[in-house]
Amino acid sequence: MTATVVGSRTARQRRLTWLWRAVALVFVVFTLFPVYWMVNSSFEPNGQITSLTPSFFPVHFTFHNFVDATERPYFLVDLRNSMIVVLSTVVLVLIVAFLAATAVTRFRLRGAKAFLVLVLVVQMVPTTALVIPLFLILEKAKLLNSFQGLILTYVALTLPFTIWVLRGFVRGVPVDLEEAALVDGCTRVGAFRRILLPLVLPGLISTGVFSFITAWNDFLYADVIMQQQGHWTLPVWLFGFETNTLTDYGGLMASCTLFALPVVVFFLIVQRRLVSGLTAGAIKG
Amino acid sequence: MLNSARGRTEQTSSSAPSYRRRPHSWRRAIRRQLLPFLLLLPALVLVGLVLGYPIGQVVATSFQQLGVFQLLSHQTVWNGLSNYTALFSSSQFLDVLEQTLLFVVATVGLTLLIGTGVALLMGRLGKFLRTVVSVAMLLAWAMPNTAASIVWTWLFETEYGVVNYMLVTLGLQGFNNHDWFASSLSAYGVITAMIVWQAVPFVALTLYAALTMVPRELFEAAAVDGASPWTIFRRVSFPIVRPIFVLLTVLSIIWDSNVFNQVWFLTSGRAEVINVVPLGVWQYIEAFSSQQYGLGAAVAVITVLLLLIVTGYYIRIMVRTGEVRA
Repeated sequence: MTATVVGSRTARQRRLTWLWRAVALVFVVFTLFPVYWMVNSSFEPNGQITSLTPSFFPVHFTFHNFVDATERPYFLVDLRNSMIVVLSTVVLVLIVAFLAATAVTRFRLRGAKAFLVLVLVVQMVPTTALVIPLFLILEKAKLLNSFQGLILTYVALTLPFTIWVLRGFVRGVPVDLEEAALVDGCTRVGAFRRILLPLVLPGLISTGVFSFITAWNDFLYADVIMQQQGHWTLPVWLFGFETNTLTDYGGLMASCTLFALPVVVFFLIVQRRLVSGLTAGAIKG
Repeated sequence: MLNSARGRTEQTSSSAPSYRRRPHSWRRAIRRQLLPFLLLLPALVLVGLVLGYPIGQVVATSFQQLGVFQLLSHQTVWNGLSNYTALFSSSQFLDVLEQTLLFVVATVGLTLLIGTGVALLMGRLGKFLRTVVSVAMLLAWAMPNTAASIVWTWLFETEYGVVNYMLVTLGLQGFNNHDWFASSLSAYGVITAMIVWQAVPFVALTLYAALTMVPRELFEAAAVDGASPWTIFRRVSFPIVRPIFVLLTVLSIIWDSNVFNQVWFLTSGRAEVINVVPLGVWQYIEAFSSQQYGLGAAVAVITVLLLLIVTGYYIRIMVRTGEVRA
């Protein structure tokens, strides 16, 4: 009697396991397809792309689209611009946000709660609405068309969310550790540098990825602030490419692949830390 | 600021070990007061100057008549509430609100539903498939949304798009040369699918990681007691991950209400022509295309107020449950 019950239960479980596997595969196919299609199209010659029966593998494999994309005017210049702006943004935002997160969590601040709610509310302001006032401010400060102006903008835009998430990580590190270091004769700064900093590294990585993506992605501010072509960043270049050459989907997909590549590589390298980091931030909220 | 700094030191010193309260250490005490303030200072200055001041400007502008003429001649023409009355009396505004509401409900609802489903699914998979699922999601998530939007226009392209090709191959002849961006509803369908596609990974991976932190014994105990999987989810897993779930919901609502890039790129700038104007896009169109910056600012102010009304309840829950805790 019991044996059959157990037997039927395991049979049902086995069937369920296969069901879950099938569902997972369907999900993976849907999730991967757009990415796959981008890469597939980027390796196909244009004649093949604009044929009425698309091929699901790059049969007529070619690097032509990539060569074509990178040899277009300003691609390399704008890539360099993007790199300068994004990397400076990430470094600056991490320093400022880490200091702020420490201030909010490690010291009993009366206004801390209000500050954090404010940080969440700032997120609600549509970024499109801030374009004009920011433009006017940067114009007054003579920072239009400069890397500094764009970097400052990105730092400020990503700062609220970065502080919000980092605070969770900083709080996750037991204060006792720092106090022990203080008792052992460490200075406050020393405890901060030797105890807190290494322990919140995963948090710094995941928030770093977040600000990297926000800045790397931004089209609107770069478009408004950088008015000379030599100062453009890649998204602006990409939009110009999309609107100027409507039919060159091969070149367009190759540029999208190149544009997405750094982020994807970055993501895959830090993926484990990223996910564990996100929960650490979320759990301790 | 000074007040809070003072309040903070009082509390710190009361909880600090006694060795810190040596006499003649007032120099140190001042330094201890200053330090947290100095740590917060760069963030306060940056957020204040680059976000706070512009936000103030937006609020001020929403009470002004500001067009190109006023902008170039640096004139300030206050016109009271007329931007707001103009908005509320225009029929398009109500249409935009309705579109935004449906769009946000659809994207946030689908994202959370699929995200939770995938998080639970990942717990039932072997290590290999779980890695495959996470890597697939990381790839979709990592795609910059500008590039992703261009890729999706290519997928749904009228003549050579692979989606139409597959649908026709499946026997749906109606999709031969079908223009997905011809009508508002079908354009919204594509935009929603794309946003959900990119938003699910964040929700699923976060929830999965949170679920793995639920002690195993709880599930086993519930299973021994004969609870169904649904009951286990409702009574054991969900209550534990609820704070994260609330946070994810609030963030999703905020992000999806202000979507701009995806709509702008997917419709190739034709958003208004085909009447795909959620608030974030309409705000941009009102301000830039119509060059009525005052009106655009009023839309932004209304957006924030609406979001505050919608998320205020959850933010209060977060504050009360200690989720917003320093």
